[in-house]
Amino acid sequence: MADVAFLAEFVDGAPSRSALELAAGAAELAAAGGGVAVGLAYGPGAGEGAGALGAAGAGRAVVLGSDAAPAVTVAGPLVASVREAAPQAVLAPATPNGRDLAAILVGSLGAAAFGPIRAVRMEGGQIRCEMSTLQGSVITVSEPTSEAPATAVILVSAGTYAPREGGSGSAAVSAAPTEDSPQSSVRVVETQAETAAIAALEEADVIVAGGRGVGGEAGFAELEKLAAALGGVVGASRAAADAGWVPYQLQIGQTGKVVKPALYMAVGISGAIQHRVGMQAAEHVVAINRDPDAPIGEFADLFVVGDLFEIVPRLTAQIEQRRGA
Amino acid sequence: MKIAVCVKQVPATTAEKRYTPDLRLDRTATEAIVNPLDEYAIEQALRLKEAGQADEIVFLSMGPEGAAEAVRRALAMGGDAGVLVTDPALAGADEWVTAKVLAAALDKLAPEVSLMGMASDDARGSLVPGAVAAVRGLPLLAYGSELRLTDGAAQVRRLNPTGFDILEAPLPVVASVTDQVGEPRYASLKGIMAARRMELTTWSLADLGLEAAALTARSRMVEARPPATKPPAERITGVGADEAATRITDWLASRKLIA
Ligand SMILES: Cc1cc2nc3c(=O)[nH]c(=O)nc-3n(C[C@H](O)[C@H](O)[C@H](O)COP(=O)(O)OP(=O)(O)OC[C@H]3O[C@@H](n4cnc5c(N)ncnc54)[C@H](O)[C@@H]3O)c2cc1C
Ligand SMILES: Nc1ncnc2c1ncn2[C@@H]1O[C@H](COP(=O)(O)O)[C@@H](O)[C@H]1O
Repeated sequence: MADVAFLAEFVDGAPSRSALELAAGAAELAAAGGGVAVGLAYGPGAGEGAGALGAAGAGRAVVLGSDAAPAVTVAGPLVASVREAAPQAVLAPATPNGRDLAAILVGSLGAAAFGPIRAVRMEGGQIRCEMSTLQGSVITVSEPTSEAPATAVILVSAGTYAPREGGSGSAAVSAAPTEDSPQSSVRVVETQAETAAIAALEEADVIVAGGRGVGGEAGFAELEKLAAALGGVVGASRAAADAGWVPYQLQIGQTGKVVKPALYMAVGISGAIQHRVGMQAAEHVVAINRDPDAPIGEFADLFVVGDLFEIVPRLTAQIEQRRGA
Repeated sequence: MKIAVCVKQVPATTAEKRYTPDLRLDRTATEAIVNPLDEYAIEQALRLKEAGQADEIVFLSMGPEGAAEAVRRALAMGGDAGVLVTDPALAGADEWVTAKVLAAALDKLAPEVSLMGMASDDARGSLVPGAVAAVRGLPLLAYGSELRLTDGAAQVRRLNPTGFDILEAPLPVVASVTDQVGEPRYASLKGIMAARRMELTTWSLADLGLEAAALTARSRMVEARPPATKPPAERITGVGADEAATRITDWLASRKLIA
């Protein structure tokens, strides 16, 4: 029996988008080995909500913690649960919280670590992970060695799996065993709210991203209109976030979010490699840039050479018109 | 207050990268640099020293002998001492092996803060800081946009979905910082000359009381291939803004991207 566990982070009483995606992924992998998906639930509301992971694909759920403490504080119950259940893999979201917990599993168990993965395959009971490595310049495939313990730790980027739709049923919920962990001493001493709720880039089908070329907040207001016309949200390069035009939560790239929308519009963004690694998985890339030699032209599907200030408002109007027609 | 900054040597960001036939990164083929995100960790440590909150900065790297160059480049920016852990048995080290080795070296250096970059360019995992924390049994304060030291505790300012949290843990801690800590300084010529003359400490696995046989990698690469190449972009160029907007709209509509 090869169960596959996944980290299920709860936000405000409901499973996060990553929990739903990973539930679907874990269910798919577990089915291949005749096991079930096991949700490792934490965060506010995880206790009451864990059963609902059943509809998302989980056969069982274990509650690691239900309060708003930093995610890393569930390290004790997490490590103890994984030791006890010894699933074939633990899928973790490739977010800061997910990586912190994945890393603690790796250090505590001496586990094989993979990811963020493009795909996982089960071949004759052996896990094989395909990854995009070295800034996307190589695709590599790796597997656990014979020295590795039973459980592999796998980071999964947002958008790798689609949440199950119309699922039903409830997962059997149990409390986690626990062990002492130094992470229990980590606490939040202050929270600085800077912005109202920000649309989650990882969930967006359409992202209109702006860079230094957008020039300021007024330029970003134009991008907001374009994004609204396309039913999408606004993202940004680091240069735009550094300039203070948008909050860092909207930064895409190596040190920002990694996104996988159906449409990515890069407006006034040159296409530096650190930006590219955050958006290269987008299905369609449209770039608007006045420099015909901008590197973004090397990996866009449609490259529009021109002035964004002239093109963007006209594009917004045309799309609105077309949608109205 | 002692801060140990872990610096990794990686291939230059934009260099062409290759794997050797036995699927190891060909480190002879490319220019090597200090992992760019580690420069931010160096910068953070140096700022804390300048502010009088730390008095000793030590740089630690694990890698081939040539990685001494990365330690020297860090020292050229500032700091007090450099340590290189190098051993032939470490070729092919994975996250867990790296964490075990760095943890043993850090135990020996016994800093109040073991500081790392948020990710290494050639691994992308961001797993080493947390794995080191777990091996050493210390609290983890990762992804700081700033590291602060208070009496007996460390704090990091960390991005959350709507703002920032200030996370705190009692010293000693393992911490990592992001590229939001402030732009890394350039090494001065004087700094470069001084770093060249500095004596580095070199430790082997035996010096750390570790046995190679107990440090076998938990994962291995079985395949490396180039990504599928994308066809060149369609271009819209040399047309007026109205025409460009129409053609973009048509392009989007033909791909059903306008709902
Ligand atoms: C360790 C590290 C991590 C990093 N992480 C990230 C990351 O996560 N995300 C990220 O984005 N960057 C990251 N960077 C920074 C990255 O290297 C680039 O500096 C950054 O992406 C550039 O942003 P940009 O494209 O907006 O600005 P620029 O490179 O300045 O490009 C602006 C573009 O706008 C165009 N333009 C200007 N005016 C107009 C106009 N009127 N009409 C049309 N086009 C116009 C210009 O032709 C140019 O191509 C990182 C760097 C480092 C060292
Ligand atoms: N071989 C190494 N030597 C020194 N520090 C390292 C090494 N590998 C990883 N690190 C540190 O761990 C951080 C995260 O790396 P990674 O987990 O590989 O993404 C890096 O930014 C470094 O600070």
